[in-house]
Amino acid sequence: MIVDIESLRGLSMDTLYDSPEGRLIQSCIQCGTCAGTCPHGEYMAYPPRRIIKMMQHGLIDKVYASDSMLKCVNCYACMSKCPREIHLTEVLLQLVKEQTIIRLPSVPPELQKALENSYRYGNPMGESGRKRINWMKDLDFPIRILSQNPDPVDVLWFVESYPSYHPRGQDTARAIAKIMHRLEIDFAILGNEERSAGECGLLAWESGLAESLVDYNMAILTKYKFNRVMTSDPHALDAFNYRYKMYGFNLNATHNIPFIYEYFDKIKKMFTRSLHYSVTYHDSCCLGRHNGYYDQPRQILKAIPGIKLIEMVHNRENALCCGGGGGGMWLDTYYKSQNMERLSDIRVKEAIETGADILAVACPYEIPRFEDALKLAGYDKKMMVKDISELIVDSMGG
Amino acid sequence: MEKTNGQIRIGFYICHCGTNIASSVDVQKVTDFAATLPNVVVAKHYKYMCSDPGQDMIINDIKEQNLNRVVVAACSPFLHERTFRNATFQGGLNQFYFQMVNTREQNAWVHLDPLASTDKAIDLVRAAVQRVASHKPLEQKKVPIHPDVLVIGGGIAGIHAALTLGNAGKKVYLVEKEPTIGGHMAMFDKTFPTLDCAACILTPKMSAVKNHPNIKLCTYSEVEKIDGYVGNFKVTIKHKPRFIIDDLCVGCMDCVEACVYKEARFPDEFNQGLSRRKPVYMPFPQATPQLVLIDPETCIWFKSGKCKKTCVDACERKAVDLEQQARVEEVEVGSIVVATGFQPFDSKKISYYGYGNYPNVYTSLEVERLINASGPTQGVVVLRDGSHPKTIGIVHCVGSRDKNTNSWCSRVCCLYSVKLAHLLKEHTGAEIYNFYIDMRTPGKSMEEFYNRIAEEGMKFIRGRVADIYPDMSDPDHKKLIMKAEDTLIQEIIKVPVDMVVLSVGLEPRHDAQQVRRMLNISCSTEGFYIERHPKLAPVSTFTDGIFLAGCCQGPKDIPDTVAQAGAAAAEVLALIDRGFIELEPNTAFITEEECSGCKSCIHLCPYTAISFLEEKKKAFINEALCKGCGTCVAACPSGSIKQNLFDDEEIYSEIDGILNFDHISRELSYV
Amino acid sequence: MYKEKTEKGHQIKIVAFFCNWCTYTAADLAGVSRIKHAPNFRVIRVMCSGRVDPQFILDAFSKGADGVLIGGCHPGDCHYIEGNYKCLRRFQLFKKVVADLGIEADRLRLEWISASEGDKVRLVINDMVSKIQKLGPLDLPAKYKSWDSEMELLEKCVREQSNEIIKEEMEVISHG
Ligand SMILES: Cc1cc2nc3c(=O)[nH]c(=O)nc-3n(C[C@H](O)[C@H](O)[C@H](O)COP(=O)(O)OP(=O)(O)OC[C@H]3O[C@@H](n4cnc5c(N)ncnc54)[C@H](O)[C@@H]3O)c2cc1C
Ligand code: FES
Repeated sequence: MIVDIESLRGLSMDTLYDSPEGRLIQSCIQCGTCAGTCPHGEYMAYPPRRIIKMMQHGLIDKVYASDSMLKCVNCYACMSKCPREIHLTEVLLQLVKEQTIIRLPSVPPELQKALENSYRYGNPMGESGRKRINWMKDLDFPIRILSQNPDPVDVLWFVESYPSYHPRGQDTARAIAKIMHRLEIDFAILGNEERSAGECGLLAWESGLAESLVDYNMAILTKYKFNRVMTSDPHALDAFNYRYKMYGFNLNATHNIPFIYEYFDKIKKMFTRSLHYSVTYHDSCCLGRHNGYYDQPRQILKAIPGIKLIEMVHNRENALCCGGGGGGMWLDTYYKSQNMERLSDIRVKEAIETGADILAVACPYEIPRFEDALKLAGYDKKMMVKDISELIVDSMGG
Repeated sequence: MEKTNGQIRIGFYICHCGTNIASSVDVQKVTDFAATLPNVVVAKHYKYMCSDPGQDMIINDIKEQNLNRVVVAACSPFLHERTFRNATFQGGLNQFYFQMVNTREQNAWVHLDPLASTDKAIDLVRAAVQRVASHKPLEQKKVPIHPDVLVIGGGIAGIHAALTLGNAGKKVYLVEKEPTIGGHMAMFDKTFPTLDCAACILTPKMSAVKNHPNIKLCTYSEVEKIDGYVGNFKVTIKHKPRFIIDDLCVGCMDCVEACVYKEARFPDEFNQGLSRRKPVYMPFPQATPQLVLIDPETCIWFKSGKCKKTCVDACERKAVDLEQQARVEEVEVGSIVVATGFQPFDSKKISYYGYGNYPNVYTSLEVERLINASGPTQGVVVLRDGSHPKTIGIVHCVGSRDKNTNSWCSRVCCLYSVKLAHLLKEHTGAEIYNFYIDMRTPGKSMEEFYNRIAEEGMKFIRGRVADIYPDMSDPDHKKLIMKAEDTLIQEIIKVPVDMVVLSVGLEPRHDAQQVRRMLNISCSTEGFYIERHPKLAPVSTFTDGIFLAGCCQGPKDIPDTVAQAGAAAAEVLALIDRGFIELEPNTAFITEEECSGCKSCIHLCPYTAISFLEEKKKAFINEALCKGCGTCVAACPSGSIKQNLFDDEEIYSEIDGILNFDHISRELSYV
Repeated sequence: MYKEKTEKGHQIKIVAFFCNWCTYTAADLAGVSRIKHAPNFRVIRVMCSGRVDPQFILDAFSKGADGVLIGGCHPGDCHYIEGNYKCLRRFQLFKKVVADLGIEADRLRLEWISASEGDKVRLVINDMVSKIQKLGPLDLPAKYKSWDSEMELLEKCVREQSNEIIKEEMEVISHG
């Protein structure tokens, strides 16, 4: 799907029809695919289809007044199936979400806190910026930090907040570091200078917050010389490749899985240990539906000796969302208050159904979400959640 | 001519086309302008120039005002050039003393600013007026039409066209790719809207084709090459080997019985793979012609060279010939009917409908076979696991109306879905859900048909199915959940069903482009062949002598397919009975005095129309072979090649006119 | 919009040579589909893009065209089998000539537009018009005129100079 990203900059509900993407909305045939495929469609008073009709009839205020868009987890499912190729997730839903949040009497506290933290500390957890490199401590090789050694580097690795701070995310970060090290890639990180890329802020359309993060990161990134940017968070990938472009910052980033896949032939030879697992892979929405990386993670998994890959019922473009996108990460309590079933719980049931030993993921949000869901399902002893990078390192013999 | 003393006297007319042109182009202004141009004697505008009074105006003006040239600014020359040339002729002039200005399609309809449209019209009128002055009187070349006809494709369209032509006494070659004619219709059980049995109406026509003295049926054959042009096409037909001698086989099937494969093991194409066949087989019991064939892909003799060849021995008439080779035949025809049909959309392309993944998801064509009394299950609807469905969901618009797949509406799916709903209910008594986006039932008796079936108690859900997945609460996960928004009650629904039917759309055949290239006709971006005019020439193509019938031109139902096939046959008959066709006299010729004999033109001509006269050391163009592209004209370094209708002089005067260039003052008048 | 530009003096004008079978038909299709596009081009119909003589292009430029567009069938689709290849080959050579004349590359364009690509007609024309609008008018005739007057001036100078010389010589002779 090609979007003229720059034309979307500064788009508002009033100027929507001025852009070709906006005008596409008028071609909606009201088929309801968006509502039908939306993981929260059942709980929305105004799923995308109705939003479009309300808009056409000048009744959009009613939509703003409802909390429907708070339930959008930016999973791109509606957009990828829309027979009119309307850029729902990328364009319309964002704008409606922004208006909804502006009118909300009170933003759900968890989300509020995450946004505030991102603003003040550059990460949604509210951790100190100084601790951003703590994950590196146990590594037996050094990682270059650009502020300390600003020489040009081949790969700039944008670690992002979850891999930097969350204990399980840190495991992933270390695994990625080991892989990069073994592949003898010249790479460096921003260290304490890094702040969240702001994707969730952007998709929750907290424009003020998002823009401050975008400005900050743009300034930092322009300081250094590098050939490529890799990130360990698909949401940051989205931020760089779509949102930052709206601000005129052309950075073609990649994610660590497609990045590693570029070295597929080399890395295959390093798989020395057989793992004897059956694995099912959960497609991250940003990585899969939005960027089309379906085969790379699967190819890597299949190449690991001893791994048997089993698909869940919903996979690839039809995968179910873990519920963490678009601010969903911090809305679980709110969703619960609305009697909504958690998407991670639904997804985990599908994973359990496969009988796999391992639920493999490639997005740092998913590990905590799925581990929690597995615990709730009483299945955490039988199934582990692992990032693909961790499995790679396991097979490389640590 | 004498009356004008060699003076050029031009009549100029601009058409309002109702308001089509007049609302964007200031016709009065253009008329006033034209009147000021040199040689223009008459300048008029009129509501409908193509109407009788409009044409009469031209005819009378020619006579009364001694006009000797005519310019009409109206629609596209593709539409009415012939009309106005004829009027020019009726007025007593050579019809080529006429020039047309495209003021509608390429002007009024595509520009928003009337000022700009008017300016553009003025430029083009100036160009046409300057051009027409240098027009020459030309004669049209008459090409005789070979009375034989080629029909490509033996679906209902090709069958009907062939029969109509054969009945009119014309010799027809009907070429069908598959071993049998019948096309898709032969697979159906019953047809909407009348629910009459497809076989009952089709098989008599199939055997009529087979037995028709004027129709030469070439099944399992392909057209490999087409040379020549209207009136005189040379067609190369390749007959693929059946490994059965046609004339000897009586279709007794003894060889099939005798095959070393005791069990039928290979997917049966005609039954959409729902049953199995042997390597030697007859496509289906009513196949026409009644001939068996051997499939070398599955026959063990062809694969390994080792077999007891029981089939050969079993045939008393010695019809099995394992050494048979492809045979190539060349025939001559004067016109061609293209009736190559469609292919159903490949459901695997929409992964979330689970076709190929969940065994209980079927395509509509598979269901047509399942409910067919002569189908793989003798008309008993059983699922792949042998069970009988109690709830069935039908998904409309699969692959249609979707920019991710095919953007068009396939026109027949709503109706055949309703048909299948009825038939499935009749066969199984199951509860049936139809998921549709919009119910489209145009055409005679169609809405009535829909109403009648609806009254039988079907469930209609307005909403496109968004997801299909196994029901985990079902003990063996066999049931499928169909998830959609019922947009009318505004609720997300999840319907558990035993069987899903995907109503696949109609799309151009995968080889449509290849066939198009061979025929030198155009197709739309999606791949359906383009008719010469969507309303006024719906079965003609831009290539004279080639006509279209059936779904190769666009999705349509059987009634429309047959009507179109009849129309194509009528066009062919009109051509044949006239005996000749007049070609545009736009051929090129050499002015010998100027030819330097450099030979640079000779290799440029794709039709080998140019030869070199050794004794004169000059090039020579064979007018009969020249198609009039003008490539040699553009390339001739000495300017000795001229092209009728598109001569240098004519084109230069158009350029002058467009740019308002005045040769005398050598400057632009508007600067 | 159009008026504004005309008042400013110059309206970009493009001469387009469209082949009868593909591009002319596509332009008709754009009409039937009411696909709006810039009005700055004037179509001359030829049977095939192969008919377009480089002289036509030069002629159009020298008579005041701001751009020349040639439209033909896609490779492999030419109604006359390979006229468009001939056109392409000629075009490649001719591009250099045009560049040597100091005419910007954007002013001369060859496009393959099939009978079904009504929208491509719009895209190509709008794109070409906007690019040429940025370049401004070419106006070769006016340039010719100024070249002509330069030439005249030059000739006049030469004439005057030689007159001087003659005068001087005469003087030398008469004084001698
Ligand atoms: C599931 C389904 C149900 C339908 N039900 C109905 C119904 O109930 N009523 C109704 O009115 N319509 C129905 N239709 C529509 C109907 O199928 C078409 O209108 C009809 O088949 C069109 O006929 P055709 O001859 O144009 O094409 P086809 O039936 O496709 O026939 C084309 C023939 O040309 C042959 N061919 C193709 N290329 C070549 C080549 N290069 N050389 C030689 N031969 C070639 C093919 O092998 C084929 O035999 C249905 C369609 C579908 C998909
Ligand atoms: S006919 Fe179109 S390029 Fe030759």
